[in-house]
Amino acid sequence: MNKFTASIRKEILLLLSDKTGLLLMFAMPLLLVLVITIIQDSVYKVVNENKIPLLVVNHDPGGQGEKLIETLGGSGVFEIEARNDLRPGQLKEELISKGKLIALYLPENLTSGIVNNATVVSRLMMKDMGMEFDSARQTAGPMPELSFYHDPVLQESYTISVMNIIRSYMRGLEIAVVIDRLYEDSELEARPDLLKEKMLSNNVSIRPVLARKEGGIATPNSTQHNVPAWTIFAMFFMVVSLGANIVKERLSGSFLRLKTMPGSFRLVIASKMLVYMIVAVLQVCVIFSIGIFVLPYIDLPRLNIPSGNFPAFALIVLLISFSAVSYALTIGTYSKTVEQANGIGAVSVVLFAAIGGIWVPTFMMPGYMKVISHFSPLHWCLEGFYILFLKGGSWYELRWVILFLCVFIVTCQLLTYFKLRSEKIV
Amino acid sequence: MINPPVIRVENLSLQYRDAAELSLDHLSITVCKNDIYGLLGPNGAGKTSLISILCGVFGPTSGKVTYYEDSRPMPPARVRQVIGFVPQEYAFYQELTPLQNLEYFGAMYGLSIKEARSRALETLAILGLQKAADSPVMRFSGGMKRRVNLAIGIIHRPSVLFLDEPTVGVDVQSKHAIIRHLKQLSRQGTTIVYTSHHLAEAEEICNRIALIDHGKVIAEDTLEHLLATHRQPDLAALFIGLTGEEFRD
Repeated sequence: MNKFTASIRKEILLLLSDKTGLLLMFAMPLLLVLVITIIQDSVYKVVNENKIPLLVVNHDPGGQGEKLIETLGGSGVFEIEARNDLRPGQLKEELISKGKLIALYLPENLTSGIVNNATVVSRLMMKDMGMEFDSARQTAGPMPELSFYHDPVLQESYTISVMNIIRSYMRGLEIAVVIDRLYEDSELEARPDLLKEKMLSNNVSIRPVLARKEGGIATPNSTQHNVPAWTIFAMFFMVVSLGANIVKERLSGSFLRLKTMPGSFRLVIASKMLVYMIVAVLQVCVIFSIGIFVLPYIDLPRLNIPSGNFPAFALIVLLISFSAVSYALTIGTYSKTVEQANGIGAVSVVLFAAIGGIWVPTFMMPGYMKVISHFSPLHWCLEGFYILFLKGGSWYELRWVILFLCVFIVTCQLLTYFKLRSEKIV
Repeated sequence: MINPPVIRVENLSLQYRDAAELSLDHLSITVCKNDIYGLLGPNGAGKTSLISILCGVFGPTSGKVTYYEDSRPMPPARVRQVIGFVPQEYAFYQELTPLQNLEYFGAMYGLSIKEARSRALETLAILGLQKAADSPVMRFSGGMKRRVNLAIGIIHRPSVLFLDEPTVGVDVQSKHAIIRHLKQLSRQGTTIVYTSHHLAEAEEICNRIALIDHGKVIAEDTLEHLLATHRQPDLAALFIGLTGEEFRD
């Protein structure tokens, strides 16, 4: 026990002397979590939470343009900025130079076009119903065209969604005008308001349902992705510290000296792994605590950790820690120099992070990249947290994550063992 | 009076993987108690390979090494407890202080934490490192690092000490401190097996010398007998006379 305690003490002292390594393991992920969560959260809010800022230029002298603006403004979806002084040609410039994302131009013939079309529809209906009508008012003119300006940085799906929202409100206005015209042409005394309300309000509704278990209480947002994602990245980035630590020991002859001493050399490796496992768990504790206690203070979503399956959460954290330590051990064992360990270790972890969905979630990747992502251990680590946090996952749903991580750990440990054995160190 | 043997090496051979020739070729030597036994030879002669096998870093291809304690063969586990090893490389943690290094390696030799600390302080004082005991070794000069390397090898007071070129690249003062302490250890009963390219140094401290070349012992005896047998004035002349002037790069 004395040897094990001494080994652990030595590892802690070495770790504490490695200021750069500590910064990389703790300060870097905190910075990444803060910066990237803030950036992604603002984008997320533009798309999901904030009202969509919409610049509107209304050149329609009739009432329909104004009605459309009122409807859009009252919908709660848009934040309208009216600028009727702008000409259509100036709108592009306004978007480019003033940083606006979307704008809508309502032309002069909007009301006249809608009314004209409503008249045609009304007369056709009356004719079909065998009623008389004034043939002089039957001719349909060209339909007005709204211009939707948008910044090219916006995703196509986003602009299509916004256009569809505007189109649905526009359609409501058009239906209302048709009903008005129909009542007017029929010379009915009744008011058309009730019919309009029934037609426009009583729609088939769509209820959003999240595909997750009851235990999963977290809602997907930038915090729920970035905090676990960058924690995993930081845990694997310990390759820079641990990998270099192992290379230095091998090159300095310390391993050689230890081989001549009584006791098992595996004890030395075990103490090294234990200390770095503790570091990895500490990383989870620190970064997750930041997600829970600090992020809400800077107007970011709080990290929600469902308490439903704590043993599974603990196991996943331990498996990720062990995976990160095993990977660092392998890189440190196979590298010939500290520079090689740092270079290969850091680049490989960045690549694993990129293909594993740390930066961009894998569901947004093309099909072949989704397949490739399965080769990244970071993907399975993140998948473990997703299953636990967002889907309230059970042991059964975690089975592939656990299996993959176990296989990864065993592979790394075997590779390390065979290399140390070939060098006659164990 | 001849002291009892401590190490007996019989027909030891070593062939590294993918190597065409033997690094050690049926080599046999006997090291007796209290010897300061010099293993001398040109580069690539097999000195470091022999010391590595004697310390148990790796095993031989063939042959046998036997350690004795009170004239009885020692089990391998016991051997690891009684030997000390000072390799050519700085085999310690440069980020740690000498005290931390000594405490760690002392504990790995089985000393209690308290014992390791007291012996570490004592050893550092002997080797003139007490003032630097709490500074990271990475800031030390080459000579100081060599002394730390030696201190780690003797923290557990080994009865057999192996030193692989312990004074290479150090200043005169450090070399003097190391040699003086090796002599003191010998007087206290430690058997020392030592390799060096410093022949004058070997002449000064070794009571027995084995000249090794191409993995074989080409001469082995006390210095006086070797010089007399080969009719050479000093060790350097004997060395060149037996190993030739050809470069061994």
